Order: sequence, then structure tokens, then C-alpha cells
Amino acid sequence: MRRRAAVSAALAWTGLLPLAVLTFLFMLPIVWMTTTSFQAGEKMFQLTTEWIPSVWHPENYPNALSRSAFPRFFLNSAIVSASVMLGNLIFCTLAGYGLAKYRFRGDRLLLLVILSTLMLPLEVTLVPTFLVIHTLGWVDSYQGLAGPLLIDAFGVFLMRQFMLKIPSDYVEAARIDGAGELRILWSIIIPQCRAALAVLALFSFRDSWDQFLWPLVVVSRDEFRTYPLGLVRFGDDYGNPPTEQMAIAVLATIPIFLLFLLLQRALRKGFDLSALKG
Amino acid sequence: MISYRWRIRLWGMAFVAPTIAYFLVFKYGPMLWAMGLSFTSYDMMKPPRWVGLENYASIVRDPIFRAALLNTLVYIAGSTVFITLMALGLALAINTRGRGRRVCMSGMFLTNIMPILAVCLVWRFLFHPHGLVNQLLRPLGFGRIDWLTDSTLAMPAIILVTVWRFAPYFMVVFLAGLLAIPPEYYEAAEIDGADVLRRFRHLTLPLLMPVTFFVVVVAALLSARIFLMPYIITGGGPGNATRVLSMLIYETGFSYMKMGRAAAISVVLFAIVMVLTVVQMKLFTRGEEDYA
Repeated sequence: MRRRAAVSAALAWTGLLPLAVLTFLFMLPIVWMTTTSFQAGEKMFQLTTEWIPSVWHPENYPNALSRSAFPRFFLNSAIVSASVMLGNLIFCTLAGYGLAKYRFRGDRLLLLVILSTLMLPLEVTLVPTFLVIHTLGWVDSYQGLAGPLLIDAFGVFLMRQFMLKIPSDYVEAARIDGAGELRILWSIIIPQCRAALAVLALFSFRDSWDQFLWPLVVVSRDEFRTYPLGLVRFGDDYGNPPTEQMAIAVLATIPIFLLFLLLQRALRKGFDLSALKG
Repeated sequence: MISYRWRIRLWGMAFVAPTIAYFLVFKYGPMLWAMGLSFTSYDMMKPPRWVGLENYASIVRDPIFRAALLNTLVYIAGSTVFITLMALGLALAINTRGRGRRVCMSGMFLTNIMPILAVCLVWRFLFHPHGLVNQLLRPLGFGRIDWLTDSTLAMPAIILVTVWRFAPYFMVVFLAGLLAIPPEYYEAAEIDGADVLRRFRHLTLPLLMPVTFFVVVVAALLSARIFLMPYIITGGGPGNATRVLSMLIYETGFSYMKMGRAAAISVVLFAIVMVLTVVQMKLFTRGEEDYA
């Protein structure tokens, strides 16, 4: 029995080697991005990659930030992504609760109506969504940027599935004690949904932070440009070193990375449900 | 006076109402609008002019549209297959007991945390003829490979980036599925003398079927929406080798201001997404119990 344990322990270690190599390969582009952001501009297209810069160039960061209106672009992205995250947290929670813990005529139909919007991603409805925003007079505005992303059907479904697992007896008992419906949602349901809310927060923020196509369509003035638009134009402008482009790319990664670290514990619990979120 | 039960019911409806109203304005309204527009010629300057099926007839004749349609389907198929295989492989490798696995998992998951634009920009450099990909292949005896300017390699290159980006995410989904399999099953199979391969073939694989199905459909749905990767990495080229439908919608609608024609292409993309979604919803609502 002891020999068998030793063998399986050895197996566990040798099995780790290919996995470690794979992990290394997966992480290589991220390492490359980071190291390149500290590299001298002329080192970009050498025949071998210099993984540790012979001379570090941290000034790539302030240089990149000052060459274009990046502080403003990042601020715009942050405002829009925070609004989208908040919108999803509020409305997906409400709708998810309504669908999970209330029975009324047509509740199944409403779930179907919500889930069916998965067939209508922004890429499909691009032209008419722009016309809607145009009609509302929201072109070149934060409302215009955040509006079409404010509620995501996946989020509603995620919250509903999570809330279905909470026993309805809790809700009934609270009602008998005279608690109002909003009070029940706030102090009984929401505290038990932390994991699902963490997943929802991370992914809705990231989806908005990643948005490129929609801002490209709806924004034409610099003051509402988000960082992806700024970064692509920065690369297109002649003479901007790619190393500085990488510096901005690293900066853009940091907020999502921090959010991920912040929510990691809750995320781990929520991940068996995260299967529901693209 | 409304009864107690009705009051509760009304609360439930009130919770769902904002979301429904929102989707009517931002999803269903626009889709109906797109369908209507697809029968018109519209440039936002003059009011829409009815042209019947002209937009559809002309896109079907258009070689660029046909190329983009084919590219989209090839891309969906290619990235879905490879994402699923890679994610399953990674999950199986990680799901063994041992040290360091959680670190590997977090490390790989970082590909999902990087902004998608950063992913595209980085890989465009990595695929440069002198870039890292060719540097790594050189010791294996490969010469200079023009990944992004060779029309047979550009699409595989973009699929590779897609797999790199999404496989670690779906790995986590597969892991959740693997963890849900009761360990007693494996113990029983071991006692019955089933070896590793047989346990995988007759136990793991069948029990993982629903998760696999889910991964396939969601990956396909994600792939159908692809825009940024070809837009940034290859610009749709070389020629039209990586032009996909979402790019064509954007260019037709917002570069050439042919909104009616762009709407017609949207309807085609919608048809693709619809087929994929219907499969997904069948999966979502299958065998669902009511706790409420």
C-alpha cells in the first residue's frame, strides 16, 4: 500500500511537468507583452527576443501616456465599464429574483424572452442599435457607450439559477415575520449570492472594458473615446514605438487583473456556475 | 383592495419588468428594425427607399460576402473543435491530485483576463516573420513562415489565438464538470479492474457529455460574433482570407453607409447565431427542476 502511494505521488509529480510546460507556453505572450513594454523601441524586431532588457526603459509608460490623451481614454473606459457593471448587478439581480422566487402567469415566457436575446448580440444588431442611439440623441455620450451593454441575458440567467438553490422557506418565513419584498431580497437573498455576484461583476466589467466595435461606431469625438480606440489609433499613427503600445496594453490589463484578485475567493465558489457566462 | 397573493405576484412582475422593457428597446426593437431595413436602401441622409429583396439578391452574388460567410463558418468550426479539445485536455491534466496544479490553472487563466485588444496587438507582433512564434519554431527546423500574409495560414493563425484566449476559460468549465463526478464511481471501477483508458472511455467521457455539449455550443456562439481578432491581426486579409461577417456588417454600414445592405448581412449572421442559440436553450432548460 505504501509503495502504491509512493508510485502515485511520483506520477503526480511527473504529470506536472508537461502541464508546467503548457502553462509556460500559455503565459509566454503575457510575459512578452510585459518585458517588451520596458524594452528600447529598436529592439522590437530583432531575430531573438531579449527576455530581460539589457537596459530598462520604464519611461515608455509616461511617454505613452503623454503622447495621446490616454488618461482621459482610460477614465472614459472606467466610467462606462463601472456603469455597465452596476447596471448588470442591479437589474440581473432584480430580474433573476423575480424569475426564481415568484410564480405568475407568463413567468416562463418572460424567461424565454430574456434568454432569446442571446440570439441578438451587438454584432448582429449593430446598425439598428446605432440608429436607436442616434434617435435618442446619445451619439458621443456615456449613455450611448454604456446603454446597449447595461443588461446581459446571461447575467439574469446566472442570478436566477443561483437563487433557485436558495430554499423558498427562508422567503416565506421572512414574509410571515412581516418583512417587505425588497427587504427580503436585500437581507436574505443577496448575502447568499456573493459568488454569483462576483462572477457577474468580473465578467460584465471585462466585457465592457473589452468593447471595441460598439465605441468605434458610437463615438467620434476624442472626449468620449475609450482606451481601445485610442490604442489602435496610437498604433496606426506613424512614429509611435510599439514598445509604448505594449506599455498601454499592460496598463489596460491591470484593472481586470486587480478585479480578478479582489474577487478570487468568491469566484472560486461561483465558478461551477460561471459555466453560464461567456 | 388587492389580495395578499396578488400583491406578491405584482412584486415579482415589477422585478422583471425593467429588464423586459430594456430588451424590447435594445434587442427586439433593433432586430425588427434591421429586418425592415434589410428591404430598403438607406444611407442616413435620405429616408429609406423600399427595394424588396434587392439587398439579399446582391449580397448572394457578391464574392466578398460569400467569402466572409464561408470564413465565418470555417472559423466557428475550427475554433470550436480546437477550443473544446484543448480545454478538455487541460482540465484532465489539471484534475489529478498533486502540487502546483492550482498555480498552473491561475497562470493559464490569465489569458482570459488580458484585454482582448491587448491579445490581438501582442499576437500580431508574435506572428511577425521575425516574431516569437517563428523564433520558437526555428530550432525545430522551420524557416521563415509568413503567418499573416499567407492566405492559407492567416485563418489558422487567428484560430490559434482564439484557442489560446478561450481554452483556459472552458478548461475551468470542464473542471467543474469533472469535480461533479462522484469519486465513488472511480473507486468502484478500479475495484472492477478497469484501467485508466477504460475509466476515461466508459466513465469520464459519458458523464462529461452535458458539459462538453455546453462548451461546444457556447464556444461556437462566441466564435460567431468574432470581430476584433481579424480586424486587428490581419485586417481581414490577406485578400479576403480572414474577413468575417461582423467585419462586413461594420464596413458596409459605417464605412460605405449602406445601412440596408448591412442589415441584410446582419439577418444572415442572425440566422447562424439563432441556430446555435436554439441548441443552447434546449440544453439550458433540459431536465431543470423547480425549487421555488
